Parts: sequence; structure tokens; C-alpha cells
Amino acid sequence: MASMELASFPILSTILLSTIVALLVIMLIPEDRPKLVKQVSLGFAALGVVLSLLVYVSYDVDKGGLQFVERFLWVQSIGIYWFTAVDGINAPMLILTAVVLFTGVLTMWELETRVKEFFALMYLLVAGVYGVFMSMDLFWIFVWYDVSLFPMYPLIAIWGGTRKEYGAMKLTLYLLAGSALILPGILYVWAVGGGHTFDLFELQRMGLPAHVQRIAFIMLYLGFGILAGVWPFHTWSPVGHVAAPTAVSMIHAGVLMKLGAYGILRVGMTLCPEGLGYWADLMALLATIGIVYGAFVGLAQTDLKYVIGYSSVSHMGIVGLGLATMTVDGINGAVFQMFSHGVMTALFFSAVGYIYDRTHTKMIPELGGLSNTMPVASAFFIIAAFCGVGVPCMSSFWAELLVFISAVKTYPVRGVLAVISLVVSALFMLRVVQKTFYGPRNERWEHIPDVPLALATPRIILVGILVFFGLFPRLILDVIQSAVVPFVSSL
Amino acid sequence: MMWLFKDPVLAAACTGTWLPFLAMLVILIFTRRNQRLSAGISIASIVTSLICAIYLFTKLFHAGVPVQYEVAWAMTPDLYVPFGYLLDPHSLLMLLIVATIACLVQIYSVGYMAGDPGFSRYYAFQSLFAWAMLTMVIAPGMLQLYIFWELVGLASYLLIGYYYEKYSASQAGKKAFVVTRLGDIGFFLGLIFLMLGYGDLGILNINQAAAGHQIPGPLVTISALLIFCGVIGKSAQFPLLTWLPDAMEGPTPVSALLHSATMVAAGVYMMSRIFPFFAASPDAMAVALAIGTVTMLLASTMAMATYDLKQVWAYSTVSQLGFMVMGLGAGGYFAGVFHLTTHAGFKALLFLCSGMFIHEFHTNDMRVIGQSGGRNLKVPMISMTIGALALSGLFPFSGFFSKEAIMGVLAQHTNKVWLFAGLLGALMTAYYSFRLIFFVALPRKLATVPAEDHGHGHGADHGDEHHGNAYWAMAWPVMFLASVTCVLGFFQAPLEQFLTGGHAAAAAHGAGQEGAGHGMGHYVLLAGAIGCALAGLAWAWVEFGRKRAPQEGFLKKFPLAEILFARRWYLDDFYRKALDTLVYGGLTSLFTRNDRRVIDGAIDGICKLTVGTGRMTSFMQSGMLQYNLLVMVAGIGLVLLFFFI
Repeated sequence: MASMELASFPILSTILLSTIVALLVIMLIPEDRPKLVKQVSLGFAALGVVLSLLVYVSYDVDKGGLQFVERFLWVQSIGIYWFTAVDGINAPMLILTAVVLFTGVLTMWELETRVKEFFALMYLLVAGVYGVFMSMDLFWIFVWYDVSLFPMYPLIAIWGGTRKEYGAMKLTLYLLAGSALILPGILYVWAVGGGHTFDLFELQRMGLPAHVQRIAFIMLYLGFGILAGVWPFHTWSPVGHVAAPTAVSMIHAGVLMKLGAYGILRVGMTLCPEGLGYWADLMALLATIGIVYGAFVGLAQTDLKYVIGYSSVSHMGIVGLGLATMTVDGINGAVFQMFSHGVMTALFFSAVGYIYDRTHTKMIPELGGLSNTMPVASAFFIIAAFCGVGVPCMSSFWAELLVFISAVKTYPVRGVLAVISLVVSALFMLRVVQKTFYGPRNERWEHIPDVPLALATPRIILVGILVFFGLFPRLILDVIQSAVVPFVSSL
Repeated sequence: MMWLFKDPVLAAACTGTWLPFLAMLVILIFTRRNQRLSAGISIASIVTSLICAIYLFTKLFHAGVPVQYEVAWAMTPDLYVPFGYLLDPHSLLMLLIVATIACLVQIYSVGYMAGDPGFSRYYAFQSLFAWAMLTMVIAPGMLQLYIFWELVGLASYLLIGYYYEKYSASQAGKKAFVVTRLGDIGFFLGLIFLMLGYGDLGILNINQAAAGHQIPGPLVTISALLIFCGVIGKSAQFPLLTWLPDAMEGPTPVSALLHSATMVAAGVYMMSRIFPFFAASPDAMAVALAIGTVTMLLASTMAMATYDLKQVWAYSTVSQLGFMVMGLGAGGYFAGVFHLTTHAGFKALLFLCSGMFIHEFHTNDMRVIGQSGGRNLKVPMISMTIGALALSGLFPFSGFFSKEAIMGVLAQHTNKVWLFAGLLGALMTAYYSFRLIFFVALPRKLATVPAEDHGHGHGADHGDEHHGNAYWAMAWPVMFLASVTCVLGFFQAPLEQFLTGGHAAAAAHGAGQEGAGHGMGHYVLLAGAIGCALAGLAWAWVEFGRKRAPQEGFLKKFPLAEILFARRWYLDDFYRKALDTLVYGGLTSLFTRNDRRVIDGAIDGICKLTVGTGRMTSFMQSGMLQYNLLVMVAGIGLVLLFFFI
């Protein structure tokens, strides 16, 4: 019954609107009330969590398909629709966005410089992310996608750290290059489809000619793939992570990179199944190289954030590999990995954020022995590292299991190589943990207090999500596959 | 929740396995600051687990058929991962062993770890370990087994690296995790192949299918060999055996629990769990037999060259695990499992005794302990001697019976090389065990006592004052294990009945070979095995025990061999070198340079090119009339060209 009533209530637009309202409200708050800005931000973030959880819980798995549909014509002449809906693939993504935003706001509770602008830009970024995740219209997907990219530049260049101008510029250029591929890809598909609809599913039903699909798919794959950190277009991501302030790193690695993978799945693979078949081999190759390569390069890094950045490259490779298998389990695993990796990297950056705020360094050789003085703060990073290593009963284990099984089945050699690289990823995670947190008491950090409860809360939430879905994978897997099973059979 | 009351067996299985998990959560989240309460919660939960295990064991002793429960843990159209419990004789026995040892170790730790600043953390990790290990033992499917197998590895990593301030400890933890992970990759791939090729990973199903030749032979061989990689990693077989001696960096009770009785035994347990599956592939069995033999002999030589109390027992663990793998590889299901059982008891005993010495004297060096009057500690001294007798395989201690069983299986093998290797191993085992015992119990005035303290286990952060309670908290578990070691051997017949009776496929395999061991040949073998053990003992007596003993091993006369043994046959150096050249110096630096120079270089190059082009064109906007005119004329020329051609 609840879902029936909800179905008539435009809950998705409400989520999107709430971020824009938050943005406006924050802009109206006077400059000298930073506390109020944070409280308002937290309030709206909490609202987002509640609403997206409501959507997730009331999504009817047995019925499947698109639910909470809001669709009406916006521009008739070229066929733009306001079309938002939820299925098993984007329902977890909405939760991910909401949770990362909420924990990100809490993590930035101690921010002092230009608080108002920071949170306003964060909300603009998140509005774009929500928009991409819930839109089913190509025009809107592209618009929201660019909305989410724009705030990254000021967020990094103003509040950032190491080499912030270089990082911000590199990131922006890369992502704009991606946009420059996506837009012609979308327009090409739209034009071939008759030029009277941007509706994703209408275009899908038309069934584009094979040669069109091949050209369109590679444009969309590379365009979105840049944001997903596909090798060899990944180098913007570690640099960007390192330069960005904590909450931006969290959203950036936790949500934004998923936007790329989601775009490949939602736009590229939905519209161009034949193009996918043509390019899948290349996708699998690039993904496998990314998995192995990221792990090895991570081994050589001395900056904590670089380490996480390269682990993201490796883990996003798993997403890519899962998508390339074109099997139910592979795509299930890929979507699951998008969710788990998002939570995991948010935890990583959040944990490093606290350490960096207090010690003012994130260079591994300068740290060491942190477990002595701040055991709880260290524990958060260590737990995230275990998740990154693929320890069972953490949610990313299930994702990796699904992806690896179908990868070995579809691409035996590449699958086995990817599995073997698990040893390297274990080595590099544990090496970082050992050098940063273990070892004798370090007098330099003697005076630093452990995380207070208020600041530990966001990290506790993230750990809780990782373990919860690790113990009860069906609560998310069943939702995901309600969309993936029909999707794969339509390929 | 009603189902819990309806089915007491299921309720006991759930309670026994999940209670330690709850204990861990409660300790980590709520009671971290209260050390006594944390220890109390952990011990209460493990005692409950033990009671559940005993209940299940007695209740299902005569059940005959395995009891199985499962629910879907993760389910997709192509993959089904059940979570549940499989209660058959083998898992019931192992459940009992694990719960007993874990319980004893946790009680012992109250004394050993008293006053340690990380006491609560220690008990949280112990509970994590208990949860993972118990759930692994009664897993009905290989994937669940693999999942909890990995968690056991995690708990082991945390416990080995417990003294994380020490570089050697954190290094050892990392090494243990990565090296076992190396083996687990094989295990994981083996499971994937089996699943893709056969489609089901239920333990009972694959055993039955493999025994009935329903799985193609090559698939069985390949996946059995890959799965055996997991055994090599976890049970520290050659060539991945180097992590286990290093793992002695953890607190001694951890060594007793993980690195002798339970965690390392997981490999052997897993192998015996799917024994009919392994047995269906003669090639895989031959490989296992060979690996087990090499491991046993190598580790025995290593044990002869060290003076570290815990190291000797660590090497002997490796060696005995190799012996179990030999037994299984030669087709002796019951022999392997029985040795696993007795070994769990006497090896935990040996470690706990060593822990009492180390706790008392703050050193691991057996010579120093002997000189400082180690024999005055009556309980550990007598108990350790009992343990050493059992380890050497002397009557009437438990090790005698299980070693005889394995020897019997080896004797049945067509190739007698394995039997002689086994006998040689028995000789060396008795030698190094009593070398240690004599060093501790019968110290001689020595010129060679090392001046520096070799303290490993834990250093000066322990007060010496807690003698009364701490001593007895440690002594009780030791005395209990010593008495178990004395009597366990006599339960061989009922255990064999219990294990092979329910395990139809194994009985078919085992009975043919084990049953034939009686008669004339049996007594010759018996005499041979005991003779070897006694010879080793006598040898140790001549060199270390008697009044005028030089207390210098024969190895001193072969310095090259001694160096080789003490350096663990250069296996560690080999891995170090391989890691440095292939991983750090090779791919890592190659990829990193590629990232900086090639990829980023290209991108930065493109940017520079763009900027440079912009700068070039900006010269045109210099306001100089002649340039502007030139461009204009050229432009008009181009337009004209376009229109006329």
C-alpha cells in the first residue's frame, strides 16, 4: 500500500529538488554563520538519506522494472522528456550518493575557510549526481553530468591541498574531454533515431543499426570511461584525489567515478548492445590491465591519498571487467562493486582526512605508529583496507566474487590474471597499513587526541554499511538483479 | 525465532558459532575500556560454544546420517551460495577440537596476557578467530568454507601482528597473510573451475560425484591440485612454509591456538573434508604425498638447528602437518584425521608449556631457560616432556597411535620410499624434541650461553608480580591437555568407527588399506617406528642428556649443513629476492615510470602543444600591419582557390 501512495508522489524529483533548495538556502545564510550552514547542510543531507532509503525499501523487487516513474514532455520539437525513474541498478546508487553526502558533511564539520561557498558547491555537485542517477532521458543525463563536473574545479582549486591548481586543471580537462565525446555520441544516437526523442528506452526499442551502435558505443564508453578511471585514462584520478579536500575526495571517488561506470551501463550498453558485443573484448582488456596495473603502481606510492587513488583504479577495473562479461553475474557484481567501492573509498578518504587534519601530513614515511596514539582513527583506515583486500563478510567481497567467477568463465586468461592480482593488492594494502599505523610510538604524534565520537560517527556509519551488506548480501543483490536479469536477456 | 526452540540441534549450532561473533562486536564497540569484562564476555561465549559442541557431538554420535541445514546467502540465476551447517562425524569431531583448544587457550591467556594494554583487543580477536574457525568447520559448501577460511586468515593476521609496535611482529603478520593469500588464489581458482565445470560446490555432493566419476577426470585433477594450493598456503607446506615460523611473533597462546592446533590444521581439515574428491584423482594424491614428504623432512632439519623454544615447535608443526598430508595423500583418511586430532592436543600442550617458560624467564632461548632453572617449574616441565613423548610417537601417548596409523598406510603404498621417509622423519622428530627437553631440563655449564636476551614473545612491559593466579590460570589448561595426551590414543577404535562409519565413501577407500595393516608386517612396522623414535631419543641423550654430554649437536661438525638448516634452506632469501626484483624492482617500477613518463608525459605534451600553438598564433595579433596584411592576402587566396577549383 505504501508504495502505491508513494508512486503518485514525485519522490525522485523531491530528492533532486531538495538539493537545489539546500543550495539556495545555504546561499541565503549570512557569511558569518558557518555553524548554521553546516547544520542546514546536514539536515538536507539527512533528508536525502531518508528519502532515498524510502525509495529503496519501497521498491518492489518482485515486480521489477522502472518504478516511481515521472515522465512528461518538456520540449516537444526535439523530444526532451522530464523522465525520472528507479530500477534495481540506480536504487543502490541513490543510497550511495545520499550516504556519502551525509558522511561527507559530517567529515567536514571542522571546516573553517569559506564554509558557505564550500557547502553550496557541494550541493551543486550532488544535485548533478542525483540528476544523472535518476534521469532516463539522454538530454538530462548529459546536462546533470556536466552540472556535476563543473563544481569540482573550484572545490579543488580553492580548498585543495597538494598541487591543487595542477590537479584541478588536469581533472577538469580530462572530464571535459570525456564530455566532448559523450555529447556527440548522444546526439548521433538521437539523430539516427529520427531526432524526435531523447527518451532512453524509446531509443533502445528502436534498435539502432549495428554500425551506428559500434561508433556510438566507443564514444560513450571512452567518454564515460574517463570518469570511471579506465586505464589508460586514469591519471587524472589519483592526482585529483590527492589535491581535493576530504569530503570532495569522498564524493569524487565514492560517487563521481561511479557516475562514469553507471553511464557506460545505462547509456552505452542499453542503447548499443551490439556495439558492446563488438567492443567487449577491448573493455575486458583495459579493465584487466587497470586491475593489475593499479595494484602494482599503488605498491610504489608514498602518499596515503595516492595509494587510495590507485586502489580506486584497480577496483574500478573490477567494475569494468564485470560489465564487459555481459553476464548476469558479471553485471550484478559490477553494480555491487560500484556501491561497495563507493562506501569503501568514502571510508578511506574520511579516515585519511582525520589523520591529515591533525598531523598535516599524509606522507607514509613521516607517519608510522599511529595506532598507539589514535587507535580508533587507525581502525577505520585498517577496516577499509581489509575491505579493499577483499576480506569476506565485507560487501566488496561479494562483488568481487561475482565478477571474478563470470570473468573466468567469459575471459579465462584475463580473469585468472585479475584473480592473481589479488595477492598484489593484499600486499600493497597491508604494506600501507603496516607503515602508517604499526610500529613504535611516534613522539611527533603523541599529543594528538583520538577521534571524538562526533567525528567518528560518519566513519562508523560507513563501516556499518560495509559489514551489513557483507553479512546480508541478498538485501542489495536481489534488488540489483531484478534489473540486471531482464537487462542481460535483452542484450 | 520459534524454529530455534523446535530444533535444538540447529539452535546449538547457531549459538555455538555466532556467539563468539557477538562477543567480538560487544567487546570492540562497548567494553573495550573494561579489560576484565571483555575477557569475561569472550570466555563466556567460547565456553558456551564448547558446551554446544559437546552437546552436538553426543547428540549426533549415533546419528549415522549427516545433518544439514542451509539458507540462501547470495543467490543469482547462475550462482547459489548457501549458508548453513553440515554436521557429520568429521565436522563434529573438529568442532569439538577447535572449541576445546580455543576455550583452553582463552582461559590460559587470562594469566599469560595479564596486564597487557591491549587485553580487550586481544580477546576481541580471539573471538573473531573462534567464530571464523567454528563456522568454517561446519560449512556445508566449499564457498562458505572458503569465505570463513579467509576470515580465519584475517584473524590470524591480527593476532600475529598483535604486538604491532614491533616491526618483526607486523612484518610477520603481513607475511602470513600474503603468503597464505598466494595459496588461496589457487584454492579460489580451483573452486571457480569446479563450479563452472560441475555447477555445485556442496561438500557432500562433490564428494559423491567425484567418487562416482560423474565429474570429468581432468577437471577433478586440475581443481584438486588448485585446491591443494590452499592447503599448501594454510598448512604451511613446501614451498610456502616460511610464514609459519615467523608467525611465532604473536603471543604464545596465539601460537598454541592458531599455529599448531587450529588455523594451520584448517588446510589438512579441508583436504580431509573433500577426501573422496581428492582420492578420485591419483595424480593429485601423488602430488600431495610428495609435497607432504618434502615438507616433513625439510622442517625436521630446520628444527634441529634452532635454539628458540617456539621455533622448534613451529618447525615440528610444519613437519607434522606434512606428515598428515602424507597420510592423506597415501589414501589414509582416518590416519590423517586421527593424527590431526592427537596433534592438536599435544602441540597445543607443548606451546602452552613453552609459554609458561617464556612468561617466567622472558626469553625464548632454550639454553638460557635451562640455565635459569627451567626445570623448577614442575607443571610445564613434566607436561612438556609428556608432549615431547607424544610428538616422538612413543607408547602410550596419543601421538604413538596416530603415527602408527599413518605408518601403516605408508607401508601399504607400493613405493616404499615414502615409508622410509616417514621413519627418517620419526627419528629426527625424536631427536630435536629431546634435544630441547634436555637443554631445558638438564642444563650443563656452558661457555656458549648467549649474552644478549633473545626475548621474542613479549618484553619488559610485563610485570613479574602476578605469580599466584596467573600461574594457575596457565597451569590448569596445561594439565588438562597433558592428561588428554595420555589417554586419547586409546580412543582410536571408537573414533575410527565413528568417522569412517558415517563417511561411506571414505570407508570404501580407507578400509581396504588400513584394515590390511595387521598381521606379521604390522609388528615389524611397529618395531621399526618405535625403534626409530627410540634411536632419536638415544641420540639426543648422547649429545645433550648424559652427564658428560657436550651439548653440541652433530650439526656443529657440519657447519655448511647447519647454516643451510638455520637459514631455512634459503627459501626466505629466495622469496625476498623474487619480491624485490620481480615486484618492487620489476613491474612496480616499470608501471610507475610508465604512469609518470608515458601517460602523463603524453598528456602534458598535448597540453604544452596546445599552449605553444596558442602562443604561436598570438604572435599574429601583435598589431603589426605587415603580418595582418599577409594573413589577409593568404586568406583571400584560399577563399578564391576554394571557389574556383
